[in-house]
Amino acid sequence: MLIQQDMELGEKLAILADAAKYDVACTSSGVERKGKPGQLGSTVAAGLCHSFAADGRCISLLKILYTNQCVYDCRYCINRRSNDVPRAAFTADEICRLTMEFYRRNYIEGLFLSSGILHSPDYTMDLLYQTLWKLRFECGFNGYIHMKAIPGADPELIRRAGFLADRMSVNLELPTAEGLRTLAPSKDRKRILTPMRQIQRGIEAQRQELVPYRQGRRFVPAGQSTQMIVGATPENDYQMLTVAEALYRNYGLKRVFYSAFVRVNDDSLLPALPGGPPLLREHRLYQADWLLRFYGFGAGELLSERQPNFNIFLDPKCDWALRHLELFPVEVQTADYNTLLRVPGVGVRSAKRIVAARRSGRLDFPDLKRMGVVLKRAVYFLTCGGRMMYPVRMDRDFITAQLLGEEKRRVWDIGRQDSFRQMSMFDDGMLSPVPSGEDRRSAVWGEL
Amino acid sequence: MVIFTCEDSLEGILCGVYDAWMSRLGHANVRLELQERGNLRMFSEYRQTAKEDWKTEKVIDTIRRKAGQEVYEQVFHASLSREEEKADRIYRFLICALHLGPAVTDMLQIPAVYELFRMNRNVTREAMHLIEFIRFSQLREGALFGVVGPENDVILLMAPHFADRLNAENWIIYDEKRNKAVVHPAGGECALVRLPDEKWRERLTESGDQEEFERLWKTFHTHIAIRERTNRACQMTHLPLRFRPYMTEFQ
Repeated sequence: MLIQQDMELGEKLAILADAAKYDVACTSSGVERKGKPGQLGSTVAAGLCHSFAADGRCISLLKILYTNQCVYDCRYCINRRSNDVPRAAFTADEICRLTMEFYRRNYIEGLFLSSGILHSPDYTMDLLYQTLWKLRFECGFNGYIHMKAIPGADPELIRRAGFLADRMSVNLELPTAEGLRTLAPSKDRKRILTPMRQIQRGIEAQRQELVPYRQGRRFVPAGQSTQMIVGATPENDYQMLTVAEALYRNYGLKRVFYSAFVRVNDDSLLPALPGGPPLLREHRLYQADWLLRFYGFGAGELLSERQPNFNIFLDPKCDWALRHLELFPVEVQTADYNTLLRVPGVGVRSAKRIVAARRSGRLDFPDLKRMGVVLKRAVYFLTCGGRMMYPVRMDRDFITAQLLGEEKRRVWDIGRQDSFRQMSMFDDGMLSPVPSGEDRRSAVWGEL
Repeated sequence: MVIFTCEDSLEGILCGVYDAWMSRLGHANVRLELQERGNLRMFSEYRQTAKEDWKTEKVIDTIRRKAGQEVYEQVFHASLSREEEKADRIYRFLICALHLGPAVTDMLQIPAVYELFRMNRNVTREAMHLIEFIRFSQLREGALFGVVGPENDVILLMAPHFADRLNAENWIIYDEKRNKAVVHPAGGECALVRLPDEKWRERLTESGDQEEFERLWKTFHTHIAIRERTNRACQMTHLPLRFRPYMTEFQ
């Protein structure tokens, strides 16, 4: 389908925002940059979210595609070549104007620029580069820019673009090479990993410089990120998490995003998802991702070959703690920071507050609550001055039952949004876990 | 019980702190309250604090010297809070702070410290939210005008962020509830002014090219949401309803 030329800016924006929304990365974090006199914009290290859309996701950046015309035919993607959707393309001037005017009015924190592949990767990357150049040097934009590196584009183009953007990302899309081969036949894993490695090397080389150039621009100062689709291919959570861990470790990524698969195309190779996108699975993966990055957990601790998927009812940290009851309860006064972090209900902030506060006196459970510890989870795993809040049997079944009371309700909320349930006398509100392959096999052979 | 009443401002509260402390009645026998707030108490004596610069300076100097800059900043933030009890809470906190020194901010197990920490957190969070959620409209002359209706008096905390970010723009942040505004001329310094009249509303309605971008922004905001993932509860958690009347995309 041809790109329509005579389109109004509003229509283009609608089409190209619609086309870009399945990319989840919308963070504006990672780099702190003060404003420059006469220029527009600054960045904040923690990032700012300027609005929230109806799906509850934050809107931080003006997330658009340069064009939704694409030469590839990836089965999961709404912009694939074989789809009959309206195609549009911005011009560099239009993108600059939108970004500047939205930014002045404090609608956005910056620009997220991606694109379908128009003609060839090089051609597309060049368009993106020229747009960024215009925005930075002609319009004087000093805010945040997140840009996609197009796999297969010339390394020189990627290098140059890296000096204009704050964050770059290359989407891995599917965690395994096989998955990629089935669903995205024109992409291959090596071509995706090459630019990722190049960006990593660029960032690291800059870190080695003894005298950094003060005036010059830094290369991808906010680091790089990637995204994986959850639930489009049969990979389990353990595989996803191992891949994420490897990416953090070997490619120095800042973030790995998980995107619950939304079935936008009717394709025989895509899974049918009668219950909607696998939101709970995505949620558990994000929880585990946080445990990897901030809590010192390893993928192998949370999951294993024998237990490859996350518990539906318990969050990964509770699940881990219940499997390691021998390490608990932990004494608040004496446990070190890393041990405190592993207690369910204790987060990074509350652990830091505990460590700071206990220097000057004893802490009790009400104090912990004030410091932000979630007591309904933490009571089973903590002692203050050698005593638990109330007598607890350190028994796995008992604690699980206690924790499930609240957790089950939350799982229900996430899994079934906005749906009302018929009440029934025989229904105790339990979600029955999905039977695994092994269960099915044993049912067939009558080994129950 | 002797109750010292003071003006609702950092200077006023610190003068109250000075008077209450220097009255030598003992901390347990004095209390600080804001002027013209709430009911009078029986069996207590009311004393009005005079606001004088030398008292404020003296207290600020003592806080900085004995307890450090961070404690002073926390007190400043707390003085912007909406809570009626704030004057007395600041007083109780300063008793601890001057006694324990800079480390006091970590000692959340002390109730007076926790109360101040809580007020401080509430004020800072709201300021942070408004930095994210404020929407500017362009007046005909090209100046940007943003209206907020915060619970705490936070426009002073928002100003430095925008003075840095929009340094080449003329902008005004207007607090609808307190009729105050921060005005920033392009390339200049911010100033806090009172804007009592409703003239700015007329000016806002006759604005220039803003409608085009407001429309575009609304388009973007609707189209960026994924229909299959609709989750109003989640949106509500992150973006509470009280901010929405001031935001372009929800108008």
